[in-house]
Amino acid sequence: MPIKSYIAYPVDGKRNELIMKIKALDSCELNLAINEEIFIVVTDTFSEDEDKMIYETIVNMPELKHLTLVSGFSDEEISN
Amino acid sequence: MKRLKIISFVVFLMIAAVIIIGRSIKATYEKTSIDENDKSLNSEHDSILLHVNILDVNNIIDKNARFKNTAKYFSNRAYEGAPPTVPHEVEGTQIGGKACLKCHETGGYVDKFKANAPIVPHPNFENCIQCHVPVNTKNEFKDSNWELVTNKSSSEITNQALLTSPPVIPHTITKTDDCLSCHSGLGIKKVRVTHPERTNCRQCHVPKYTQKDEQDEFIRKPLVNN
Amino acid sequence: MFTQNLNRRVFVKKMATSAAVVSAVSLFPGIVFAEEQQVNLTEDNLNWKKAPCRFCGVGCGLLIGISNGKAVAVKGDPRSSVNKGLACVKGYHSVMALYGKDRLKKPLVKKNGVFVETSMKEALDLVASKMSETIKNHGKDAVSIYGSGQWAIPDGYIASKLFKGCIGTNNIEANARLCMASAVTGFMTSFGMDEPMGCYEDIDYANVFVLWGNNMAEMHPVLFSRMLDQRQKRGIKIIDFATRTTRTSNAADKSILFKPQTDLAVANAICYEIIKNNWVNKNFVETNCKFQKGKTNIGHGLTDDFKFKDEPEQIDFDAFKVFLEDYIPEKVEKYSGVAARDIKYMAALYGDPNKKVVSFWCMGPNQHTRGTWMNNLIYNIHLLTGKISSPGNSPFSLTGQPSACGTAREVGTFTHKLPKGLVANEKDRAFAAKIWGVPVENIPDKPTHHTMSMFRALDRGEIKFMWIQVTNPMVTIPNLNRYRKGAEKEGRFIVVSDVYPTPTTDVADVILPSAMWIEKTGLFGNSERRTQFWEQMLTPPGEAMDDGKQLLEVAERLGYGKYFQYSKENYAEEVYNEYTQFHAGKKHGMAPLEVLKKEAGMIWPFVDGKPTKWRFNSKYDPACEKEGFHFYGNEDGKAVIWQRPYEAPAESPDSEYPFWLNTGRVVEHWHTGSMTRRISVLHKAVPNSYVELNPEEAKELGIKNRDRVRITSRRGTIVMLASVNERGVPPRGQVFVPFFDEHFLINELTLDSYCPISNEPDYKKCAVKIEKV
Repeated sequence: MPIKSYIAYPVDGKRNELIMKIKALDSCELNLAINEEIFIVVTDTFSEDEDKMIYETIVNMPELKHLTLVSGFSDEEISN
Repeated sequence: MKRLKIISFVVFLMIAAVIIIGRSIKATYEKTSIDENDKSLNSEHDSILLHVNILDVNNIIDKNARFKNTAKYFSNRAYEGAPPTVPHEVEGTQIGGKACLKCHETGGYVDKFKANAPIVPHPNFENCIQCHVPVNTKNEFKDSNWELVTNKSSSEITNQALLTSPPVIPHTITKTDDCLSCHSGLGIKKVRVTHPERTNCRQCHVPKYTQKDEQDEFIRKPLVNN
Repeated sequence: MFTQNLNRRVFVKKMATSAAVVSAVSLFPGIVFAEEQQVNLTEDNLNWKKAPCRFCGVGCGLLIGISNGKAVAVKGDPRSSVNKGLACVKGYHSVMALYGKDRLKKPLVKKNGVFVETSMKEALDLVASKMSETIKNHGKDAVSIYGSGQWAIPDGYIASKLFKGCIGTNNIEANARLCMASAVTGFMTSFGMDEPMGCYEDIDYANVFVLWGNNMAEMHPVLFSRMLDQRQKRGIKIIDFATRTTRTSNAADKSILFKPQTDLAVANAICYEIIKNNWVNKNFVETNCKFQKGKTNIGHGLTDDFKFKDEPEQIDFDAFKVFLEDYIPEKVEKYSGVAARDIKYMAALYGDPNKKVVSFWCMGPNQHTRGTWMNNLIYNIHLLTGKISSPGNSPFSLTGQPSACGTAREVGTFTHKLPKGLVANEKDRAFAAKIWGVPVENIPDKPTHHTMSMFRALDRGEIKFMWIQVTNPMVTIPNLNRYRKGAEKEGRFIVVSDVYPTPTTDVADVILPSAMWIEKTGLFGNSERRTQFWEQMLTPPGEAMDDGKQLLEVAERLGYGKYFQYSKENYAEEVYNEYTQFHAGKKHGMAPLEVLKKEAGMIWPFVDGKPTKWRFNSKYDPACEKEGFHFYGNEDGKAVIWQRPYEAPAESPDSEYPFWLNTGRVVEHWHTGSMTRRISVLHKAVPNSYVELNPEEAKELGIKNRDRVRITSRRGTIVMLASVNERGVPPRGQVFVPFFDEHFLINELTLDSYCPISNEPDYKKCAVKIEKV
């Protein structure tokens, strides 16, 4: 059940659409900057597979310019 | 019949006398009593009723100017319910009063700042600088470990008992609050009320909080001891 | 198990988020996140507890929101009759002062000029051994303690008992000497008993408020708002009588400016007018007042060997009238700068039998080389007109510290005082010794040093050891250069108990980290004789320990443990119960703890379960022994109307130093700013001190707002930013500087002259010159 955090850079003018789309995903939490375009995405998934899937989904969104992984915690790290 | 008339007349006189005496006693009591504290500052009544000006809020705002969201709400507050700092320039020689109320009494679009001025929830207080101070530097004197702690439910409307029941008030209420100051068109977008014309908010919406240490939980003794 | 795991996930998620926030901040400096630092909490664990505000002497009731062992929010306590649910910007943000990153958590000991961390046990051992060593080598009067009106009642009480009752020295003083001493001597000389006769409720009944040199809009904002509220409802009048134009002046109905020190003359002129127009309440004066005069040309306490003792002499009303002939408004107008018609206007307000008048004052008349006289003169006006001790008629001396009344004045943490009475009185010493359980010969019968004298003795080397608690004298002592050098001299040992590093901890040999405010259980007493209790809500950080406990630990080490048999957990309450024995009775009885725990404070005298709101008036005060008024502080039951002349201050502007320097505060910062500057909101509002100049004079000197200006007095020099036409506007010939900023130590310039009766220094008047840098 991994937890990962990313910084998302939206395509100019597409920020709101991107936010709406990611918000619609079950296992994502957003943390929005109020004075910059970028925002933080935290994914909390049940399995490594789901984690990969969700990453693919976000990365392939046309409104997304760039997604940077910042930190990740694996199952063991969480339960310890 | 005549007797009845006399009796009813006497009763009427008595009632009138009681009312008149009662009123004058009350009036003198109000003037001279020394035990009766002034209730005007003492209650939270401001948050039940509001000043009428807010009602035409939708006519005075500029819909293109920026609106407040919860993030903005916290951007100039130390905690939920803290007096906000003043995000624009202020002149220092006055205590506030009319200079502030010019824009903030009614709220609405102010060309000078290209923004919607929020409505002050307590226009009866003149000494604005007592609680609201400007921001004159970005730097800190020394760093702090202070954390902004908020109640998550106050930014999410998930506090209804039934699907159709009025939501409870998830945040604490201070004496300076006026519901529509935040919940109207000039307030926070997310918590805008659908029915600003109904001014007696606390008829339907009750606070979720109680003073914890005020009293013990009420437990009724069972009627039958098993 | 499940919830534990869930909490862990929440925690990890938060960690992941903060990691992302950190890297985002490095990419976009200044970025702000919506949910940044927002910790979710369920409403069940937000707990509101009552406490009096930590800052000024108004003593607002606050409710502190506690969540997971941290203070997270504040609101005004609607049950408190002081503030009725409102606070000021300092109060609302007060809890943030607990969380500065540089909070002192470990004791520090200076070794070869560098501070080294140590344990509390070792630090206290060192303090105790230094103390006993000093006493052995140099005598009892070589050790001293300097506390403050921010001491909670138990702290001050323990300090007094330890130093006076056990060690046997009267070397105990508090910074309240610098702010309240003239108010005390004013009360003592006029009424024979300290503290105001009225209470804040007077605001609800008065028709006229006269503010004597008191910028209430900034310094006592909550009370000022209560006045404004009354003005909206009842149309009361506010008269601001001051030396400079402030926010208060602008909000008042009338602003009257006077030249520094001439308030003495104006007050006498008001008395002259009252008598001339037959506004004297003859019945009241005949039954309740007597007339006295004291010495004149009493000096300014500038030399180390200065000594003064007043010799009161009875006079009669006629002699008083003759004396007032010198204060005809037209004559006073010439040197006070107050138009005769304004003097007559004020006199008419006081004289009007249909108007109830409250006079408010604080540091203006108190920090005054004739502070005691100035206090006497305001009482004169109220006594002549009989406007005293009844709802709405009140000469009201305000305080600046949360427990200046409760601790410094009522516990008596001054060299000449005991919790009840004076060290010089054998009866009072015997009474104290009995309650303290110490041999009566322990308590010395002669006062030693008042505050200025104490710092002078430290400089000269007569005092070798000084323990400073909850105050910051290396910012606040006038003519600071001399006294800082004195404290740093070889052979002095300075212990400082505080919560943050300050200029005072800089000169310390040992720094003890203190627990602050709601991190301990305590009591404060505010300006209206209201005692307020709060319980410990938070754990102090690191090894921080409350001041009272530090004193108890040292007392134990000095071998006085048997006199301090309190339990460790509950000592504050036990000390309070012991202390209230001193004041038992109708004249000063304090409310018991169980009442204080329930109520938002209680006014003393607390008699038969009821507070006495107006003293000396048989209608409200059960201690009165006769009908009507009874000023039972004096043996004959009469209040004194004093003949006090105008006398010049110690230093006035001349051709070399042409400006008056006045110092004071701003609404955002409290005292030396060691707490308020660590509150982000307050620091950002007023990040630094400044010098207010008269706009015309600034123009003549070529100084614009924010220009750098050099201010020089005979004692020091300082460069700071000019403030022209901003918050306050001084009249020509005056400048004003707030004293909170440790980077601009204005007290290096101020003069250490003091009122010879109260020994309180005058921070409001000295001569300086101004240059553009």
